[in-house]
Amino acid sequence: MIEILKGCREVGDTVVLYPQNYINGIEGEKLEEVCGTFFEKGIKKFVIDFSETDIINSIGVSILIGIIEKIKESKGVVLFSGLNKVNLEVFRIVGLTKLIPSFATEADALEEMGATGTPVAASAVSIEL
Amino acid sequence: MPDTDPSLEKLIFNLNTLSELGTEITSANDFKRIVKSSLLMVMGSFSASKGVLYTYDAERLVFSPIASKGLTEPAGGLRLSESAMRGLAEHSRPVDIGSGQSAVAHLGQASERFRRLGLKVVAFLVVRDELLGMIVINEKLGGEAYSSYDLQLLSVMAQNIAFSLQSHSLLKKLMHKFNENKELYENLRRIYYDTIHAFAAAIDAKDAYTKGHSHRVATYCAVVATELGWSDERIEGIRIAGLLHDIGKIAVDRTIINKPSSLSGHECVEINAHPVVGYEILSKIKFPWKGIPFMTRNHHEKIDGTGYPDRLAGDEISQGARIMTLVDAFDAMTTDRPYRRRLSFTVAMGELKKHSSTQFDPDIVHSFVSVLKKEASGRADRTTILPLLDEKLDNRAVSDFLKATF
Repeated sequence: MIEILKGCREVGDTVVLYPQNYINGIEGEKLEEVCGTFFEKGIKKFVIDFSETDIINSIGVSILIGIIEKIKESKGVVLFSGLNKVNLEVFRIVGLTKLIPSFATEADALEEMGATGTPVAASAVSIEL
Repeated sequence: MPDTDPSLEKLIFNLNTLSELGTEITSANDFKRIVKSSLLMVMGSFSASKGVLYTYDAERLVFSPIASKGLTEPAGGLRLSESAMRGLAEHSRPVDIGSGQSAVAHLGQASERFRRLGLKVVAFLVVRDELLGMIVINEKLGGEAYSSYDLQLLSVMAQNIAFSLQSHSLLKKLMHKFNENKELYENLRRIYYDTIHAFAAAIDAKDAYTKGHSHRVATYCAVVATELGWSDERIEGIRIAGLLHDIGKIAVDRTIINKPSSLSGHECVEINAHPVVGYEILSKIKFPWKGIPFMTRNHHEKIDGTGYPDRLAGDEISQGARIMTLVDAFDAMTTDRPYRRRLSFTVAMGELKKHSSTQFDPDIVHSFVSVLKKEASGRADRTTILPLLDEKLDNRAVSDFLKATF
């Protein structure tokens, strides 16, 4: 299976997802399934940290919109962090920056989220990728 | 609709997407993957969360969804009248389902379905005035209206995707025709072979003693030709010639063929005419293989020029006929005849050796012996000749005999 996440971790009641270098193929839809496993666990707060993501194309945008919709449907919250200049521009072009707040760092996003509790190491979060 | 000029960054992003779309639709990727990627590229370009790509199924006369995303209920198939399809094929530009454009009227109940699915804009996939499909997407995530530029971009993307659908459709039609022709050819081929086998059975049925003779001669011919390195096509030709080599006997009186005593002069003339009669019959048939009529005509010629009907010698006789002469004689010797019991394998082989260079081509004798040696020693890919003999033989004894004799 193609790896779509570098990893993820739970910080209190928030889950931080670290997508792979590229979100530019339909395999990226698996990200939605990953989020689904967290919904089932009752988690509603997400930070998607793109500091490890080099390229997001129109397919990637479509996939992220799918995730945003799902989080919204479950009355959840999602924040972005770590977007590089190019990807931030893509998000601005397609209007995502108007809808989802974006932060320079993961810590900033977590602070905004008001995440509490002890961070759990990435490896401790068990999900089927 | 708002008409503001897109920023340079947006133009570059869209150009990049068009380039990726071009790469995707011309790739060797699976078709389902291509259409799904294409749909996501369209949706991503306009930050749409719902979308569906329909393709027209000409067999079922219905538009079927082949890719979708974000829908809360199945897109389902759409049926449009022929006049509606003709009308929609004229719409190269995407339309807003909520608008009063004539295309919306053509869509009829389909536009109701789109509304129920939460979809807003439909782009028609048209190639040469033929409606091949539709892409339908919802409003932008932020709720902004689609600008003229957006609709123009969607139109260009739709044209690219339409060509992809057309290529796939043409390929499908081509494959369908190819499979149809292949099946037809296989049927013809089967009928052809069945007919030849029926002829062979009819030939052998004239002679109570030669049941299976034509099939054995065909099989022996093919094995020796293989040993001589013939191509598969030529081997198939000599196999068919083997099945038909005695077809001229159809014209010979049954009482002569089955006569248990010596034949009179007149009877000899009649039976010896069977190669020429066979040639006359087979030369009127256009076989896909060369040499079948002449192999039939010359299978009683002798290498020293004393055979019949043409008293040909050496290379004047085709190699195929020289093979057939040998295996025909071998099978005649190793099976019962009306006028004598069959000869044993060793006696028959002794006769081949004795008449090598007079009746038989020594090179063919050598190849025939070589095949038998391989079969007896277990070196042959499969044993063909020895199992067909009406004699229980010990492979070791056969090997020793052949080694000592040839």
